[in-house]
Amino acid sequence: MGHGGKAIMSGITFALKPGRILAVVGPSGCGKSTLMRALSGLDDPVSGSSRLLGRDLTSVSTEEREQALRRLGFLFQGSALFSSLTLRENVELPIREFLSPPRREQRQLAEYKLSLVGLADAMDKLPSEISGGMAKRAALARALALDPEVLFLDEPGAGLDPLTAARMDELILRVREAFGTTIVMVSHEVPSILRTADFCVYLDTETGRMEAYAPPRDFLSLGAHPRAYAFFQQNHRN
Amino acid sequence: MSQTSPSQAWARTEVSADGAVLLTIGGAWKSGSALPEVAFRADRVAVRTEGLEDFDSCLPAWLHAHLRSIRSPDLSSLPLRLQSLVRMAETVAVTETANAEAGLLENLGAWGAESGSSWGRALEHIGHTALGFLRAGLGRARVNWNELPLQMQTAGVDALPIVALLGFLTGLIMAYVGLIQLKQVGATVYVANLVALAMAREMGALMTGVIACGRTSTAFASQLGSMNLSQESDALRALGINPVEFLALPRILAVSLMVPLLSVFATFVGVLGGMVVACSGDLSVDQYVTQAVKAVSWKSFVAGFIKSVVFGFIAAWAGCYRGHVARRSALGVGEAATSAAVLGITLIVIADAVFAVIFNLYDI
Repeated sequence: MGHGGKAIMSGITFALKPGRILAVVGPSGCGKSTLMRALSGLDDPVSGSSRLLGRDLTSVSTEEREQALRRLGFLFQGSALFSSLTLRENVELPIREFLSPPRREQRQLAEYKLSLVGLADAMDKLPSEISGGMAKRAALARALALDPEVLFLDEPGAGLDPLTAARMDELILRVREAFGTTIVMVSHEVPSILRTADFCVYLDTETGRMEAYAPPRDFLSLGAHPRAYAFFQQNHRN
Repeated sequence: MSQTSPSQAWARTEVSADGAVLLTIGGAWKSGSALPEVAFRADRVAVRTEGLEDFDSCLPAWLHAHLRSIRSPDLSSLPLRLQSLVRMAETVAVTETANAEAGLLENLGAWGAESGSSWGRALEHIGHTALGFLRAGLGRARVNWNELPLQMQTAGVDALPIVALLGFLTGLIMAYVGLIQLKQVGATVYVANLVALAMAREMGALMTGVIACGRTSTAFASQLGSMNLSQESDALRALGINPVEFLALPRILAVSLMVPLLSVFATFVGVLGGMVVACSGDLSVDQYVTQAVKAVSWKSFVAGFIKSVVFGFIAAWAGCYRGHVARRSALGVGEAATSAAVLGITLIVIADAVFAVIFNLYDI
């Protein structure tokens, strides 16, 4: 796995059961976001393969890959809301493009998804008129627009205050519970990982390999994963 | 009630004796497929399923839309997952509530306040710019003077082709229009006076100012707006550097220096354009040049030159101002570019009118 054709991580192997939340953890620059992009098929791994929803995304045609991507939802680190569209229009966009329901149902679906994330009263606002926390939730609503089977969250708590970040975690858990969605989350916020994740992948910058794949609580005690333990201790204290 | 085939989504309402509505849903509910229409008015609604097959988000969305006005619908007969999906949309707390919908009067007030504060910000920016030039003169301002040659090239040298084309065509058009009228009184020789005076005193400066608004103001607004978006302006502030001084002063100075030169260039090219038309008729080149030189007094030439300095300043300032106050989004940058051009052209025309009154008063 790498960036710009250069391998920065290797030896990453894990499987995730449906409906579970996986946290990809590691220090800054270790390749967490790159791993997520490779897993989701947004980028190709330098070598190896990534099987998602029963398909090897590295060997499918562009059309098949686009079809597979429609079954996935993405929450980008910077929210990536379309700034010229209102929150409702942001959520309506994938619904209109891929489901083409009648106008009324399109609005119903968008309003429902925004209500799920608590933005029923801000549907007609532009992204520039809302706070960072609201933008994250709106981006989550857009990610949920097509009922994704797998949801990829890139630093969902980044830039949020602890209270808002905790609410975001609660929302992620509720989404998993209600939709049964499998969630892959990139994060270095240990409290958030402990609250939400079932499993944790620790990427180590020094070895350039995946050091551990275990439930996050396992990293709180000095066991078989000393680097992950050190990372968790450091970040948990902060 | 609407019910079609078993595999299609359907819904049915029944009203009991005590006025409660029983909403029954069934079939397969899939986004993009036809959904049933039901209408009911009741305080109490109970929802149940009958032969409910597969469903996706469209079912909880449909229920959410139809049950929104009901205080506490009875969902207890629904499958647990569906209950959870419907309730989730109702129970997630809005922690950062948006402002309530404003009325007409409130909107009018908000517009007034916004306009006031917008003019206030503009005046503040003019003040910062003036103070910046003063501080720069005293050697106290941190200005990125390295930008000056580049901006002079972009705003001046790179604009030469478009200024030449438009200047030439303006002179040509004026000569055509002038000839038609002057022929009627047998004074075609004065077409040189008309073109030369109009270009030197009015059109050269005005046209160059408008071109500067179209290409330079918008570029400045986009550049500074993008810097706002990527927090580069904030980074400058954090370093203790005033972004107006650092970024705007070299740009404003460059354009204020280059627009007068472009204006003189446009005047000459415009006169040349007029000459092409005039000399294709009765006039000789000598006659045309003699008349043109006679027509433009030093006063007129200086009046045009002064105007062009002011127009250049306005065009550059409008771009820098709109860029500095641009909203932090891609949309905001686009708006800044558009409004910079509009503001610049409007202010230039207003300034031109003011100059006309002043020059008339002082007989210039």
